Amino acid sequence: MKKIILNKGIVITALIMLVFTYSCSDKFVTISPEYSIDSENYFNSETDYYNALIASYDLLQSSYANVIVGEIASNNTLCGGESPTDVIGWQQIDDMIHTPTNSNLGDIWNWMFAGAQRTNYFMEFKDKTEFDGKEIMVGEVRFLRAYYYFELIKWFGPIPMKVDSRFKLGEEKTIPRSPVSDVYAQIEADLIYAESVLPVVASQTGRATKGAAQALLGKAYLFQEKFAESADVLENVISTGPYFLVDDYNSIFEDEGENGPGSLFEVQYTDKEGAGFGCLQCSEGNVAVGFSGVRSYNGPLFTSGFSFNVPVQEAVDAFENGDRRKPVTILDIVAWADSTNAEYSTGNEHTGYFNRKYIPRKRSEGAQNDLNLTNPNNYRAIRFSDVLLMAAEANNRGGLSDAKAQDYLNIVRRRAFGDNNHDINYSGAALTDAIYKERRVELMGEGHHFFDLVRTGRAAQSIEGFTVGKNEIFPLPIEEIEFSEGNWTQNPNY
Amino acid sequence: MKKNYSVLILLFLFLSLQIIAQEKTITGVVTSSEDNLSIPGVTVLIKGTTTGTTTDIYGMYKLDNVSPDAVLVFSYIGMAPVEMLIGDQSVINVIMESDISQLDEVVVIGYGTVKKKDVTGAVSIVDSKTISKLSPVKIEQALQGTMTGVTVTEQSGAPGAGLDIRIRGISTNGDASPVVIIDGYQGNLNTLNPSDIATITVLKDAQAAIYGTVGANGIILVTTKSGKRNSPTMVNFKSSLGMQETTRELPVLNATEYAVILNESYAAAGRPLPYPNVSGLGKGTDWQGQIFSRQPIIDNSISVSGGSEKMDYSISASDLRQKGIIGGDKAGYDRTTARLAMGADLAKWLKFTSAVTYTHIDRTSINDFGLGSVLFNAVNLPSTVPVYDENGDYYLAPSNVGIEIINPLQQIENTYNSYYMNKVNGNMGLTAKFAQHFTATARIGFNSTYDNSKSFSKIVDYGESKVFNVTRSSVYQAKNNYNDYTFDAFLTYENTFNDAHHVVGTFGTTVFQNWGNGLNGTGYDVPYNSWDFADISLANGIVDTKTNGSYTYDQRRLSYFARAQYDYKGKYLLSAMFRRDASTKFGPDNAVAYFPSTTLGWIMSEESFMKDVEFIDFLKVRASYGILGSDKIGDYRYIGKLDGEGVYVLNNNLAYGMAIGALANPSIKWEQSEQIDVGFDMTFYRDRFDFTFDYFNKTTKDLLLVVPVSGILGTYGPGGSAPVVNAGTVKNSGYEFSLGFKGPAVENFSYRINYNMTILDNEVLKVNNGTGFVSGGSFGVGQPAPARMEEGLPIGYFYGYKTNGLFQTDADVDAHPSQIALGSEASPGDIRFVDVNGDGVINSDDKTYIGDPIPDLIMGLNLTGRYKDFDFTAYFYASVGNDIVRNYERAQPDVNRLSTVLDRWTGPGTSNYVPRVTWDATANTVFSEYYVEDGSFIRLQRLSLGYRIPQNLTQRIKINEFRFFVAVNNLFTLTKYTGFDPSASNGQPIGSGFDSGFYPAARTYWFGFSINI
Repeated sequence: MKKIILNKGIVITALIMLVFTYSCSDKFVTISPEYSIDSENYFNSETDYYNALIASYDLLQSSYANVIVGEIASNNTLCGGESPTDVIGWQQIDDMIHTPTNSNLGDIWNWMFAGAQRTNYFMEFKDKTEFDGKEIMVGEVRFLRAYYYFELIKWFGPIPMKVDSRFKLGEEKTIPRSPVSDVYAQIEADLIYAESVLPVVASQTGRATKGAAQALLGKAYLFQEKFAESADVLENVISTGPYFLVDDYNSIFEDEGENGPGSLFEVQYTDKEGAGFGCLQCSEGNVAVGFSGVRSYNGPLFTSGFSFNVPVQEAVDAFENGDRRKPVTILDIVAWADSTNAEYSTGNEHTGYFNRKYIPRKRSEGAQNDLNLTNPNNYRAIRFSDVLLMAAEANNRGGLSDAKAQDYLNIVRRRAFGDNNHDINYSGAALTDAIYKERRVELMGEGHHFFDLVRTGRAAQSIEGFTVGKNEIFPLPIEEIEFSEGNWTQNPNY
Repeated sequence: MKKNYSVLILLFLFLSLQIIAQEKTITGVVTSSEDNLSIPGVTVLIKGTTTGTTTDIYGMYKLDNVSPDAVLVFSYIGMAPVEMLIGDQSVINVIMESDISQLDEVVVIGYGTVKKKDVTGAVSIVDSKTISKLSPVKIEQALQGTMTGVTVTEQSGAPGAGLDIRIRGISTNGDASPVVIIDGYQGNLNTLNPSDIATITVLKDAQAAIYGTVGANGIILVTTKSGKRNSPTMVNFKSSLGMQETTRELPVLNATEYAVILNESYAAAGRPLPYPNVSGLGKGTDWQGQIFSRQPIIDNSISVSGGSEKMDYSISASDLRQKGIIGGDKAGYDRTTARLAMGADLAKWLKFTSAVTYTHIDRTSINDFGLGSVLFNAVNLPSTVPVYDENGDYYLAPSNVGIEIINPLQQIENTYNSYYMNKVNGNMGLTAKFAQHFTATARIGFNSTYDNSKSFSKIVDYGESKVFNVTRSSVYQAKNNYNDYTFDAFLTYENTFNDAHHVVGTFGTTVFQNWGNGLNGTGYDVPYNSWDFADISLANGIVDTKTNGSYTYDQRRLSYFARAQYDYKGKYLLSAMFRRDASTKFGPDNAVAYFPSTTLGWIMSEESFMKDVEFIDFLKVRASYGILGSDKIGDYRYIGKLDGEGVYVLNNNLAYGMAIGALANPSIKWEQSEQIDVGFDMTFYRDRFDFTFDYFNKTTKDLLLVVPVSGILGTYGPGGSAPVVNAGTVKNSGYEFSLGFKGPAVENFSYRINYNMTILDNEVLKVNNGTGFVSGGSFGVGQPAPARMEEGLPIGYFYGYKTNGLFQTDADVDAHPSQIALGSEASPGDIRFVDVNGDGVINSDDKTYIGDPIPDLIMGLNLTGRYKDFDFTAYFYASVGNDIVRNYERAQPDVNRLSTVLDRWTGPGTSNYVPRVTWDATANTVFSEYYVEDGSFIRLQRLSLGYRIPQNLTQRIKINEFRFFVAVNNLFTLTKYTGFDPSASNGQPIGSGFDSGFYPAARTYWFGFSINI
């Protein structure tokens, strides 16, 4: 029998070969990720564009912060919350003592720019693949970019701006803040394009329409006091659009009133997906609603929340007698609890009032947790009454036609009072004042009032602690000033 | 006849004398002083002759016909010979002491071994004896307090919770954990059965550069047990039963105290008293008493090992069953392992080694950390709330305590989380010696893990508007599969020239690949709302969202390395290492990096001028320098992926789009750690003392950090994240001392004392993202991030307001800048915050350093001793200078409070520390020094006492050793910290040290026995 003897040479040669088969080259470490899509090789089909469009819409949902903080910053509400340190950034804005370290202002900056960046991602590749109807998607994207940039200049004044390409790492050090006029020019260009391509009725509820683009354009003009252009485009909406005021003001803010004939644009929310505090901007629900709810509420119609954004007596008193909007806008919790036996607890800065338009309603069975963060109430971003009042203001302040202004104003008032007895027939400055008053009560709780006060120069007289030459815009987040390494300077007096 | 008698008597006397004065039979047992175990195979000779015997497998010997004048010489390889005069003894038991000084022990250093005396880097070693004495449930615990430079923290006291190991400080806000190499392949400590481990060697300095790419945070080398050649079959069985209990319950207000305090707080705000009549409330519910319970832990293990001339084997199995002191069965950890290790000489020149381990882990868990945890609820739910209502159902927590506080017992009952894991890991290797001086090694090691988790959200009502209420049942299930292998091939050349120049050269390659996938999903509407039916197969509810997910990953590393070791007459030692690494974590341009390092040693005690210094037996001075790397970042961070979240609502339904996830940074490259170590090792006073000292300075630059970047880049969008950037530098420097003392081996008594101390200084040198800092952590609810990594300060330092006592009077308040920016104007009895920048305003610009979680000093003191058949162990661990933040009190007016509130401010001069109680708004809850406490502590980690039944009794029934023991883990902790556990740490570099209701480590009383056959 022949002995099987291990041969050293063979074994060692085999070992060496094994080594080389495993690791002969760096090819082993040159791999591409499986089941993942490279962001730079996208936009190959209509679906790709559609998907990027949806992602561009996504950040609208984070504008809940703009709405609630805008309201808190105004003289309509106090911050409230659980305690004076609960969301301290909001508390400071309420007291007009906010500083560049305010992280809640940082949120607005970060989220609106995230929205703008997503629109520019789409625009960067807009010419890569052709398909029918692309111009509508481009129109929507440009509408959204205008929306985000408009929010940013309202809050922060001059902003770094890029058009049709994304900001790249390091450009915070090189791209200067564009003057507000340049940003407005871009907003106008985007909206004029959008208005020209978008359909009157969108193919899916929630997508931008011609009317939405026109209304936003009219608003941008009004903010720049380009009254003629504003009146022109807004009247176009009024006369040609399918929009009208529903009779029942209350129905607007209930679930069944969503996307109704009085809405030109709504930020869409749902409670079908859960959310957590770790990523508020990820919620598909309206976070501001849960934050505005009555603390530990147990009773009919509503559910509980965190008792922020509580209206003050002065705002409640801004309603005239007989104004049917008052009980829709303001929840007098004491009276309500007396009549319904509802239970609740009181939080910080309790005024007895809540922002009834946007507090949590009874929830559907399928509502996902955390219920406080997933309220499905759409934000009625541009309402027809807002358009009417803007048109009235443009006509009046632009010296175009006080008669038209009265007409538009009175359409709104007739719904509010249910009669013609409260019609306004002033003109000139008195009419201007009447329009301002009407805007406040018609749109109370919807996040517009602070910016109306600022753009019309009435903020200092209305808001305690407001400093002229400073508080018209908010400070850039301190981190942004530092990231830019001297490229951007802080807003005046912060 | 008479004559005959006298002859008989004489004969008898003669014989008697012969017996007394002459030969007799001697028996005895030979044992080792180290472990008190008998030693088989010891040679027992009568001095000056060749007559003798050897001890049997029980260490017993028997010598017949030995003269009382004779001297017995006991000798055994590795043991100092012992001589015993027989005299009038007939039983002579001998204890032998090792004569291999520890210096001759073999130390693994990665792709090779050296004798300890020749080690030129900083290493720490824990061997199986220490592990056996500590009997840790998880092996990481054996590194705490037994090594210098190694910090071990538990993420939670819950059974099965993870532990974090940091070697020589925290060098990054990224992943700072060391890499674990088990028998040559990359693996994990957390699933190992501690009794399978032979030694753990930690490479702390540039010596780890042989593992270049991954060595920056240190390397932990684990050597598992293998059988001994030429050894009979040994069986070891060990069984321990423990009872666990909490180490502490926080003193909180009882029902009456709570009502009184609440009344005072309401009155201060001018509100009606919630408890107009406090009599009859009594003590109320002791919530902590309700949730903590005594729970068992059972640990059994068995091993069989041995070997012949050409092969060795070791077979072992273990089973651990642990229940949680909170939650019992709902927070349990079971671990079962089985292992087979074999080695064989396939030929004279070819050696084969292999080992394979199977591990099964079952774990259940409850919410055990932070707001929403069972413990947090138990501390904050007022004692006035009963456990059950009149129907015997759980009493629902009232709404006035806030929406997050619920009945903790109800919470435990309605929590269902289960997890199991099956893992196979192992290795096999061939070592060939050829051409006299060459050794070639090829080996492969692998881990293959499959795990499965399930959590059930039951429909439950915890009370009005509680956030944990569930209105629709669902079950989440996930299955993951993780695999990796490490393939090594290397060649070693060893030779000595002219009897003086000793050279070892090693070069080779390592291939590492890590891949896996996972699949998860959620099912809605679980039948009968019951755990018994909680499975996606039965949960048929339809929802509008995507309910499943999956992922795949594949990461690789390719390395080539070379090492040259040289010594001249064992006196002057030099080694140099070089490694080239390529990793898939980086883009093609930056994938490759080179890591050089060198070590030097000088054994001064070999020098002639030291020969006269008798006091010193051994003295080695050593130094090392090198560059080490780290690639511990997420996969594919150099390319942009569409894995963000882009979800909107269209037509009132969710619409899923595509968005960019984490921002790509194509230019990321290897993190580099420059490490310097200077130290010496010394043994002195006849080897009784050994002393090691090290100074180290580790500067890690190009840290791979996820740092915030400008918001204009869109990174704050849903699913987005900042890019990984090489954006920082952190320095860790310090000193390590360890001193050991070995008591003289007196018969029946021996002892050892080891003391070690590490002084650590951590400083962030650079965070170059423009702001100079990165924030993290959380405090309270809705407060800004309270911890930072910032230039010039320790990583993760606490960033908040400094305090200066309390305002005592209105005049005090008026004399101080307004505190309105912190939320509220102050009143007497409120905390006075310091205007740090002196600008006359108290605002967020006054936030500053108010503490850090990094200890200045850690120490271990280990005592072991043996007296006759008794053995004794005490292991102490101390941490000094770490701060900890009290964050387990909900800052809400109606929740329960710690008893310290009884010492609150009630008028001028009553307190300068605990603020007044008031329902009104105050700024007292903002993150300030008031919440920061000294977390220094000293803990008796393990105290044990064992008794061995005398071997001469047990050996009659063929048992070599039969030992009983009692032990206590965490018998006491001395600390000023008022929370549950000062060792609390979530392990995050930024954000650790915030105690949000840390599940305390249990005190465990053990009883057990071990049998060696």
